[in-house]
Amino acid sequence: MSNLDKNFLFSMSVAPFWHCGRTIRGNSIHTGIALVLVIAMALWHWGISVIGVVGLSAFVALLTEEFWNKVMERHSTWNDGTALVSGVLLACLLPATAPFWLVIIAAFCAITFGKMAFGGYGANPVSTVCVGWAMVFVSFPIYMDPNAMLLQTDFIDPLVRLKYFGPDFMEHSVSFTDLLLGKQIGALGASQNLAVILGGVYLLAKGVIRMEVVISFIAGILLLGGILNICSPEQYVNPFYHLLTGTTLFCAFFLATDFACTPDRSIGMWLYGLIGGMLVVVIRTYGIYTDGAPFAVMLINLLSPYFAMIQPKPFGVKQ
Amino acid sequence: MSFYKEFTKGLWNELPPFRLLLGLCPVLAITKTAQNGLGMGLAVLFVLVLSNMIVSLVRGIIPKKVRIACFIIIAATLVVAVELLMQAYAYPLYQQLGIFVPLIVVNCIILGRAEAFAAKNPVNLAIADGLGIGIGFTLSLTFLGSVREILGAGSIFGVKLFGESFEPFTIMVEAPGAFICLGVILAFMNHLSKIQNRKRGLTANEKLGQGCTVCGGCTACSRGKASA
Repeated sequence: MSNLDKNFLFSMSVAPFWHCGRTIRGNSIHTGIALVLVIAMALWHWGISVIGVVGLSAFVALLTEEFWNKVMERHSTWNDGTALVSGVLLACLLPATAPFWLVIIAAFCAITFGKMAFGGYGANPVSTVCVGWAMVFVSFPIYMDPNAMLLQTDFIDPLVRLKYFGPDFMEHSVSFTDLLLGKQIGALGASQNLAVILGGVYLLAKGVIRMEVVISFIAGILLLGGILNICSPEQYVNPFYHLLTGTTLFCAFFLATDFACTPDRSIGMWLYGLIGGMLVVVIRTYGIYTDGAPFAVMLINLLSPYFAMIQPKPFGVKQ
Repeated sequence: MSFYKEFTKGLWNELPPFRLLLGLCPVLAITKTAQNGLGMGLAVLFVLVLSNMIVSLVRGIIPKKVRIACFIIIAATLVVAVELLMQAYAYPLYQQLGIFVPLIVVNCIILGRAEAFAAKNPVNLAIADGLGIGIGFTLSLTFLGSVREILGAGSIFGVKLFGESFEPFTIMVEAPGAFICLGVILAFMNHLSKIQNRKRGLTANEKLGQGCTVCGGCTACSRGKASA
């Protein structure tokens, strides 16, 4: 650079350029297909009330986006499908029997404060879905607690057992198969682990989400959870339980991979996911909440501009 | 006429928290309820009017080089007076406001008005300025406190507004709620000025983009008046 005149300016947009023929709408459609399986499995476990929550959330999300587009005098963006996908993703984090006003507030806040306040799709610094989830989670802890909302079920809440009865008791009372099949109390869609994994693998295969983020997120959980477990097995649970409970896998596949708030280079993505996974374990082990995976996602979203600063050395530049 | 002009500018054009974005620390921290906002606003009003008056009175005596220290001492004296008065007559409020009462000393509105206005203007104008800015600050804090209290606790000045079945939107009385409310109010105020500008036949952002005189923001700084 030293040879160039200081006042010389190249006009170009920010690197990385990525051309693969994909569109925002295509991404939304693929995410929607991945979510269909999750919703179907939730329907099997929780019954017809799932349709109400998912439908209302998606509808309010769409309506809110249209409303703000009108207010801000912009083109309507309903047909790119991102608001719809956000609404469905948000519904997957709510309890299956969430009251209608909770769903409306969550979807409205998610789109308003998580997306449109920053200027629409792609401008949000923090995952849209997580913002909506966090606002209702902090405001209405009882209505957001699946343990208090799903009374007519035989399933148990593994995370509550882990928090209050210790890992030994939990490991004896739930099996991995049950957890994988979603036979646990948890959020509407996020607890359907098998469907989430299948949907996530579909998205990976289609190239919609980047495998670096997913793998490193899961690796972060296994790494820190594993270290704690090896140090003191009677105090800290087997890390695979962290993976299959709460909203962990859902966050790894669907939320942490939000296109707008993920770093854009490999090293950044690995660090981003690794720190996210570790934060999940830290929040669960030392925090006051039983599950805080979306909080972990929000924190790493905020860190992603710093990961984006890790840049490769330009070709042919002398140090 | 000039008195009136200096008084009214603090009520809208130079409204401290929502126009100049000054003194945000108490604005964000203590507006959990309308009552706290009002109490804090009145304390600031008291300190601001008296400090403006005293600074204006002694403006010819203080050497330029030590003026900041003098302004701080004047403000600190008044704040201690307010603190003692609050402890005597409004102890519950004093406990609610906590550390933010002594922190009025370093509130940038107090120092800003002393430096930018009172140190250069006669006593009557300084008092008008202090009254205007102080009342604007009080009203802003009460308004923000009311909004947050209504949403976050379902009451205003401690009076319940809704029935038993109302579920308060608790995040509004937590720290993030303060930022969200402030942001929404700022957006709303900017939108209002745009509409006003359009009515006057100006382009939408003219007031925000052009020069120092129209915006008024830089008058809070000591160099603003000189350049305008």
